[in-house]
Amino acid sequence: MTLKIPENLENISTEIIETDLLIIGGGNAGCFSAIEAKKLNPDLKVTIMEKAHISRSGACSAGMDAINTYIPEGKTPEDLVRWCRSQVGGGPLREDLVLSCAEELNESVDDLEQWGLPILRDDDDNPRYRGKWDISIHGEALKPIMAEKAIEVGAEVYNRIVGSALLMSGDQCIGAMGFGVRNGKFYIFKAKATIVATGGACGLYKSYTSDSTDSHHQTWMCPFNVGTGYAMGIKAGAEFTSMEQRWVATRSKDFCGPIDTISVGYKSNIINAKGEKILEERYAHLGGDQAPRYIRANAPMEEWLEGRGPTYADTTHLSDEEVKDLKVDYLNERPSYVLFLAARGQDITKEPIEIYGSDPYIVGGHTGSGYWVEMDRMTTIKGLFAAGETAGGNPNKFVGGCAAEGKLATRGAMKYMDALELPETDMEQVELEKKRIFEPLFKGTDFDGVKPREMEERLQRLMDEYAGGSSQFYRTNEERLNYCLKHLKKLKNDVQYLQAGNLHDLMLAHEVIDRLDVAEIVCHHLSHRKETRWQGWQTRSDYPETNPEFDCFVESRLNTETNEIETFTRPYEQIIQGDRYKE
Amino acid sequence: MPPRVNPEKCDGCNAQEEPLCEQVCPGDLMTLNESGKAVCRENSDCWDCMSCTKICPVGAIETRMPYQLGYHGAKLIPMVGTNTITWTSIDINKKVERFRFKTRID
Amino acid sequence: MGLNPPKIGLIVSDPGDILSGIIDLQALKKKCEKIRGVEHCVLLTDFKSESFLIAAQKPLAEKQIDRLIWIGRFTVKQKCTLEKKLEKSGLNPYLNEWSDLTSQSFGKQEASEEARFKKALTLIKMAVARAKLLEPLETEEVPNSESAVVIGAGISGLHAASALIERGKQVHLVEKESGVGGKVGLLSRFFPLQCNPQCGIEYALKSLRTSEKLTVHTLSKPTSVEGTAGNFSVSINTRPHYVDSNLCNGCGKCADVCPIEIPLWENVIQDEPPFQNEMGIGTMLKETQKAIHLPTPYPFPETYLIERDKCPADCKKCLEVCPVEAINLDEQIDLKQNLDAGALLVTSGWDAYPLSKLRDYYGYGLLPNIIGNLEMEQLLLQMTKRSDIQLQAIDSGPLAVGFVQCAGSRNKDHLSYCSSVCCSATIKQIKQLKSLHPGAKCTVFYQDMRCFGFDEDLYQELKSESDVLFVRGFPRVNESDLIDGKMNLTVEDTFSGLPVNTEIDLLVLAGGMQPSSGGLEFAELSGLPLNKHRFFTGHYQCYPEESQRTGILTAGCARGPMNVSQSIESSGKAAIKALNFLESTTSIAPTYPVVNEAKCDQCKRCIEDCPYDCYRQNEKGFPVPDLKKCRQCGNCMGVCPVSAISMNHFTIKQLANQIEILENSFLRHEEPTVLAFLCENDAYVAACSAIDQGLDVPINVIQIKVPCAGAVNNALIADALSLGIDGVLIAGCKDEQCHYVRGFDLVQKRSGDLGDKLGTMMIEPERVRSEGIEIHESDRYVSLLNEYIEKLTKLGPNPFKI
Repeated sequence: MTLKIPENLENISTEIIETDLLIIGGGNAGCFSAIEAKKLNPDLKVTIMEKAHISRSGACSAGMDAINTYIPEGKTPEDLVRWCRSQVGGGPLREDLVLSCAEELNESVDDLEQWGLPILRDDDDNPRYRGKWDISIHGEALKPIMAEKAIEVGAEVYNRIVGSALLMSGDQCIGAMGFGVRNGKFYIFKAKATIVATGGACGLYKSYTSDSTDSHHQTWMCPFNVGTGYAMGIKAGAEFTSMEQRWVATRSKDFCGPIDTISVGYKSNIINAKGEKILEERYAHLGGDQAPRYIRANAPMEEWLEGRGPTYADTTHLSDEEVKDLKVDYLNERPSYVLFLAARGQDITKEPIEIYGSDPYIVGGHTGSGYWVEMDRMTTIKGLFAAGETAGGNPNKFVGGCAAEGKLATRGAMKYMDALELPETDMEQVELEKKRIFEPLFKGTDFDGVKPREMEERLQRLMDEYAGGSSQFYRTNEERLNYCLKHLKKLKNDVQYLQAGNLHDLMLAHEVIDRLDVAEIVCHHLSHRKETRWQGWQTRSDYPETNPEFDCFVESRLNTETNEIETFTRPYEQIIQGDRYKE
Repeated sequence: MPPRVNPEKCDGCNAQEEPLCEQVCPGDLMTLNESGKAVCRENSDCWDCMSCTKICPVGAIETRMPYQLGYHGAKLIPMVGTNTITWTSIDINKKVERFRFKTRID
Repeated sequence: MGLNPPKIGLIVSDPGDILSGIIDLQALKKKCEKIRGVEHCVLLTDFKSESFLIAAQKPLAEKQIDRLIWIGRFTVKQKCTLEKKLEKSGLNPYLNEWSDLTSQSFGKQEASEEARFKKALTLIKMAVARAKLLEPLETEEVPNSESAVVIGAGISGLHAASALIERGKQVHLVEKESGVGGKVGLLSRFFPLQCNPQCGIEYALKSLRTSEKLTVHTLSKPTSVEGTAGNFSVSINTRPHYVDSNLCNGCGKCADVCPIEIPLWENVIQDEPPFQNEMGIGTMLKETQKAIHLPTPYPFPETYLIERDKCPADCKKCLEVCPVEAINLDEQIDLKQNLDAGALLVTSGWDAYPLSKLRDYYGYGLLPNIIGNLEMEQLLLQMTKRSDIQLQAIDSGPLAVGFVQCAGSRNKDHLSYCSSVCCSATIKQIKQLKSLHPGAKCTVFYQDMRCFGFDEDLYQELKSESDVLFVRGFPRVNESDLIDGKMNLTVEDTFSGLPVNTEIDLLVLAGGMQPSSGGLEFAELSGLPLNKHRFFTGHYQCYPEESQRTGILTAGCARGPMNVSQSIESSGKAAIKALNFLESTTSIAPTYPVVNEAKCDQCKRCIEDCPYDCYRQNEKGFPVPDLKKCRQCGNCMGVCPVSAISMNHFTIKQLANQIEILENSFLRHEEPTVLAFLCENDAYVAACSAIDQGLDVPINVIQIKVPCAGAVNNALIADALSLGIDGVLIAGCKDEQCHYVRGFDLVQKRSGDLGDKLGTMMIEPERVRSEGIEIHESDRYVSLLNEYIEKLTKLGPNPFKI
């Protein structure tokens, strides 16, 4: 529907919504936060601020084929922590957070099954494990199931509201602001406690097929999650952890879809052009096929670099039934991959699935990057909690972990808001934000400005070439990072020239603005960690070895007075005993 | 991954405020054009989650692979039931594959 | 589910050994006992009613079961009796599932025993799947308003009001003219008895005159209609009368002194004013009324009113002379009121077809001695009342009057239909004319004389009279036909083929009846559907007084041309039906639709497609059905693209779970299975009748009864196909006769779209088929099925079949 664009700031109406618990992002973690809140207190006012439509928004739009962590019988939450730790090369990671999530994990997944999610079971009614910890599901309707439950229990959902900034009162977060991408209104949500669960950040880097007509968003991750939740916190001076731990994984080549856990599940070894089993051959010392994810991600790229590409997941041994099951898995998560194979006339038992790395993403549900949080999931900003991909320190959450963390964040938020009185809103802050949000719409038709798409493409190529994107086989160095930061500053300066002709473009404008904030701290983190700890996720060509000095967390925070990003470290604490590098 | 809308079949959901495809798209990409037919604002921004294709009550939308990635003539068609979904894949050599699974259980 | 899994008791009743003649009941019982959820299974051997009761009550009392499936043939009376008796034992009646296996086909001898057994087991499993999801339900009582609003105080409105008042209800009579009576008030005589219409009006007014329950609002029109059956809110606008009805005693002194005379014919001729000269109709209809006058056409209510726009400036003569000071000449505004009503009766009557449109044919408005039939009524009435109003022949010969039938009727350029009363009306007018003016010669120009029923007697009587001539042909009237004041008309008589020449002093055009302007205005503001001739349509032949809006009833000529007796009868029926909504509460059967707001994405399809306009959006934008308007057809459930609507006791989930049972075919792989959704109004009856008649209904078909074909949601068809069912048949009412207006049309379009999608999926679109089947078409049903199964056999099994 084409909406009449408001002509000036005065024509824009403001809606103020007061609530108890505000959840920014109606995704996996967000829905579980809402459901938990209503379970603990049915009279609590719970509001979800959602950028798209909650029934199919975010990373789960097409569905999910597996829940990658579900503790099997005989294993304990501590075992999960150990595995998780080994998968990130021994850490550092917040073992306290991981353990607390692991303890809630199975119950959250069981809830999903109660609500109708089909979990595949064997003849003895046990869940079918595709790998050590991952169970197969038919999750095409995962998102509607969660969304419906959240609505059923009484959460109030505001669809099509793009979040733009936190509402602050001094150093306390009392809600958030945003705009309606369909109705052009300005929104102020006042809340006693806020949970930010906006997913991760995609599109910081250029995806390597993004140079043509129809495939700008050929990314593994949902391209509509741009890190707005992170950006909101960055601007308010929140502390972020491990942003250098970018998520890169083995992906199907060109299509950039999931393949990693599938290749494990269907026992399809990663091979190179010569048919050599790469992991066994070259990475045996790091665990071979059991090697941590970043090893598996980097391996095919290294083969290409050294001229032994293309690389494949060897599916030639699969039976017809296994091929069917594999395709059903895809149909549940990235259905168009089946179309991709059909569009190549590819029979994967004859031509194995070609693999490659992907562009790097920031996702705290896969690696540990995101907000620094306490056990109650409160960030360093009072009143702001984080859960899911937005919260850091806790890698390998996946669907079950994000759900569990949503619950934990709610419990923390509810304790926090007990007997809390909401202060008055600072109208100056609000007016400034309103102006900032809608500015690109009012430049006028003669304005000689920059389109959001132009800036986005520039950002993505900048990051790709200078901050370790896929074209650089993830490598970066000091000089390139400095160059990147310098140009990011130029881009940030050019934000004033961004011009939008309609509300959709206005959303795109803010998406690129938010990405700039996230990209900036990613570069700072990459710069600060002067070693290579997780090759692929974080490769420093000037510091190719691991340095024990950096056996710690790298943190960042915007100094709101100097307006500069500060980076520092925090020590790593091993809680679960045992060899950090082994499960 | 352009979603292609068949203008003969599309009725713009009877020119409601928002047709169903516009309601559901996670990227705010579907909208109505001046003739009241659904259209994708920006094909290159589609992530091919296929939510629009699944929800269209008259079956007017088809998801295609961009030519960068796949050759002409392949189809993947979802048919949504109450708690099942079937998928039919037709590749460029006209080979047909069918899949069916439950999406919700009680 | 979950904490309290349902516990089903299965009671199999087979008196006459019909079932056991088809399948091994003992073996079936053994299998049924193993079905998950079935806690108790009994094969009855004794078929006295107490045995049924005991078979059910015992396990219920022991809490072994919490719901029942009855397998067998039961009459409706048996079902009701059992349900009521068991209700006393604590079982909610909606926890009974009735499954008559004998209404499904088991094939004739060719069908294998194994297939029959498997089919029986399949059907029972389907019943179990449905029973598991049954919920206890209670009838709801919704309060009603006990007053009715009648729109239009003509003969229908008066009789409807009278009927309701006699039943003790409050009635608001809303009339746009100054008085009651409508067109009947303008008539001279009724046919066939030649009696006086005033008498008929007076008869209705007998109970109305003195009733405290009646409020008459004249010079009033409705401006909005809100609400629903049992609780309507009608806003009306009343123009000022300038006379206080509480004070006026009807003495008429005001009229005596009023200087303004208004011709009465202005009430009659609502068309372009005719030609005014010495023969002009204006001069023929001499009756006038003063600017201050009693209500017209019939003086009820009995107080005066003023045509204020006709008053000379500053004239206060009436005010000065009124003994009770009832007159107020100050400028007044319209009175706006809100009337609460449980039911609305629309008796807005008819208007005469504007004969000025026939100027080119018959010269109306061109020549002065051409009038319409309604004007003729007034003329005859005034001739009866006043001896100074006479018809004169132009020359010294007898008065010659011509009547042109079908003037502007049965004509695609004017009114395409026949107004059914005009021929009898003409005959009646001739009779009266001859008694008032003996010696008059009448010529009737006609196409077909339609004097229905006993009116034929009158027609035959006149035919035998020498001074009445019937000519089968129509004259074409031109200005040049007027010679010395008389019209000289030549017509070709289609019987003899010879020209007939007549000289006419007065030509009466028997024009037809069109929907009244008041009726059309009301249709616009109420949204009531009209038929193609723009009369209110009820959709059903057998309940014509019902409109498509529950609680709004139509009667009389608002529905179509009819004579006075028919109008009065129809208003009586409408009044009886209206009583349903005027009782203190209306009972709502609990099987109404429910919207799941968690799934609903507010696409508004249910609101658009409901044939009865039941849905409104609540504050959050979700559709909510008005339970009083709802006729529980299930079309909303069928149209919802996200399956968010379910009917209580007939939910989408129940249907989906029943369909799921069909995943394992009861036939061999290559034998097609057909799932048939049959609408309970026509197709299902035809299907059951086919079995009862012993026709060879193929075993391949599983029948599911639905309230309307439109209740079938595409998602269910998709489920069926994805489970491997070879063909899905949706059978509804034939030929635009859908009992729920357009349910069948809707499902045909939807399933057609699904068929197109199947085509793109390389599945034959013929696997989804919709057919209209009439209630008696059992033979056709069987041959249709056979043809369908043959086709499906040729196509081969559904690619999704396991």
